[in-house]
Amino acid sequence: MPDFDFNQNYFELFELPQQFEMDSTALGERFRQLQQSLHPDRFAAASGQEQRLAVQYSSFVNQAYNSLRRPLPRALYLLELAGMSAEVVSRQKVDGGFLIEQMELREKLEDLPDRVDPEDALDHLMADVRADLAAHQQEFSAAYAEGNIEAAASAAVKLQYLDKLMQEAEQAESALLD
Amino acid sequence: MALMQIAEPGQSPMPHQNKLAVGIDLGTTNSLVASVRGGRAAVLPDAEGVAMLPSVVNYSDPDAIQVGSAALAMAASAPADTLASVKRFMGRGAKDAEAAVLRAHYEIVPDTEGMVKFQTRSGPISPVQASAEILKALRQRARDTLGGEVEGAVITVPAYFDDAQRQATKDAAQVAGLKVLRLLNEPTAAAVAYGLDSAEEGLIAVYDLGGGTFDISLLRLHRGVFEVLATGGDTALGGDDFDAAIADWALETTGISDLSAGQRRALQAQSRAAKEALSSSDSAPIEIPGTEPISLTREHFETLISPLVKRSLRACRRALRDAEVEAGDIDNVVLVGGSTRVPLVRQAVGELFGRDPLSDIDPDQVVAVGASIQADILVGNRPEGDLLLLDVVPLSLGLETMGSLVEKIIPRNTTIPVARAQEFTTYREGQTALALHVVQGERELVDDCRSLARFELRGIPPMAAGAARILVTFQVDADGLLSVEAREATTGTVSAITVKPSFGLADEEVAAMLQASYSHAEDDKVARQLAEERVSAQQLHEALEAALAADGEALLNEAERAELQQGMAELRERMAAADVERLRSGIAALGRLSETFASRRMDQTISRALTGVSVESLEEKSS
Repeated sequence: MPDFDFNQNYFELFELPQQFEMDSTALGERFRQLQQSLHPDRFAAASGQEQRLAVQYSSFVNQAYNSLRRPLPRALYLLELAGMSAEVVSRQKVDGGFLIEQMELREKLEDLPDRVDPEDALDHLMADVRADLAAHQQEFSAAYAEGNIEAAASAAVKLQYLDKLMQEAEQAESALLD
Repeated sequence: MALMQIAEPGQSPMPHQNKLAVGIDLGTTNSLVASVRGGRAAVLPDAEGVAMLPSVVNYSDPDAIQVGSAALAMAASAPADTLASVKRFMGRGAKDAEAAVLRAHYEIVPDTEGMVKFQTRSGPISPVQASAEILKALRQRARDTLGGEVEGAVITVPAYFDDAQRQATKDAAQVAGLKVLRLLNEPTAAAVAYGLDSAEEGLIAVYDLGGGTFDISLLRLHRGVFEVLATGGDTALGGDDFDAAIADWALETTGISDLSAGQRRALQAQSRAAKEALSSSDSAPIEIPGTEPISLTREHFETLISPLVKRSLRACRRALRDAEVEAGDIDNVVLVGGSTRVPLVRQAVGELFGRDPLSDIDPDQVVAVGASIQADILVGNRPEGDLLLLDVVPLSLGLETMGSLVEKIIPRNTTIPVARAQEFTTYREGQTALALHVVQGERELVDDCRSLARFELRGIPPMAAGAARILVTFQVDADGLLSVEAREATTGTVSAITVKPSFGLADEEVAAMLQASYSHAEDDKVARQLAEERVSAQQLHEALEAALAADGEALLNEAERAELQQGMAELRERMAAADVERLRSGIAALGRLSETFASRRMDQTISRALTGVSVESLEEKSS
């Protein structure tokens, strides 16, 4: 059984630079490589204790992978490494303009069933949200790179808002299609 | 000292001999067993050369339990003793099973705790016991064919099987004396059967359309690692629905409304036969006894089933989105299940993914074949690094929170094994116990999800509401089985449970829950809002109650108190009703009504706080 550090930094585990930009191919490669050696199936014939350890190691790798794979969890993990818990992040203030914009987007989502072409309207809405997501990911990336953790946290909160909105838009889309 | 080793009859004394391992497809209608021999995976037929074992068990004689075709032959003469389709009842309670049992003419043993049991001449029989008989028959077949004892088995389960159903399947194997190397999801097994044969890299879609359910799984095969990216499905969608569509059309065309039982059975059989015939012919006859025969063309059949096929495609698109891939990115499409023999299904699936589906492995056998390959690996017959499966949680796992809402801890399509912890806190001041309710499903309300288990964390030190920190950890192992632990951070009080509920739900139900979470998005939103407003109302009510008890006499006159109490009574009424808007306006109204009281209490608090504090120190504090 290889040595394993449960406190190790996820970026170090995947041998990637600690930054917001992610080389998804390298992440996936390293993930599969780690699971090839740590997954419980590799210890099917081993002792119960080793199998239990394998489950723990493999779970840790999966958790690390899930934290780095998508932009929002990755941003939150970077903030956590910088000493800012998810709870503190969630109390971070965002500017009023952003909130007004969010309310408008939400109203559009709620008004969808009344539109002449709801599917088309939803497509536009989702495109807007995607563009906003990209912009605020950029905002996070720049702030984090400069070491401005407060600004990065503010961008992360915006990403949280938009992520939730996107999920609701996807639910609305499913409802429209059924 | 070294003991002389004596090989058992049928067992090889050769040290390098491969261990015997099998893959078992424990199906609703039929079951199969397969094994890898001489590097080739294949199903093992019985003495008559038949591979499929009907999943039917007859309990007429406790000393001569019949399994398979022999049991099927007794179904007409001893319906209550002949258990079929028990897979539908695995891990389910008597209440859950009632509707399905009525259709199947079984007799439920009344007043049983836990999993449903059927009354037979051999006594009460649970679905686990009946499944174990099927597994025993397959184990015996493997022993006879392979010439030795089976060391271990990989048993397949629908991707949608929840925790209770997986556990029940594992229990059945144990009863049958089989060592379970792994519970494997059926679509994943099918992908393995193809993936290893073709040794191709890339994205694979497994489209599994059976008699009653539909599963779609998307996987990535990369350097020997199968990574399941997403799995999804649709309920009540399968070949049975195609048959029903034909039967409805036949009734409409012939104009018959009152069918005798015999006519109904004949129509069912004819509809199924017509569906099968239309896979190779352009038309098929349907004749209900006592009426003129009619003819169904393939073209019209396709019109009839088109809406059903489209439904399956929608589930495919959802899975694609969950996996974050495009239809055009899929490199291979694998068809599983007898219903994929329908040409329109093949065509529609081919069009969606832009390529012809693979079907060179018999769709009825592909799952067992894939399972046998995984069994061969897990028993240690293949070199290291050969193949690894990374599967996912099919349905989100979560906890009940305030207002009967679900907090998802592990979202669906998370790779397993996985452990995830989340912090919760107490709701009331001085709360010393926390009831944890573990649920599975995609909906936002507890009542719409499947209850998996309940347990309590006791011994929390009394603290202010929201001060306790309770860390709840969910761990899902490689078989997809869940365990939960709760720990209070300040004292280290621990309560843990391996979720082994006495009953669960069927794959159709799981798929139904997922389906419902999409089609009832609107209902859900309203229900969630109502639940949230009720929590707000409850909190407001409790806060006012406490405030009145503390300062009502001192700060309010009799009329003001009466007014406030009147408003509280009004809110209680609105909380009992299911009108979100009325409740919301009720909360707002009581909020306004209590404004005066609140500001007087604030004034009082401030003046108390200021008493004895010098101006200097106040300025210091505020600076």
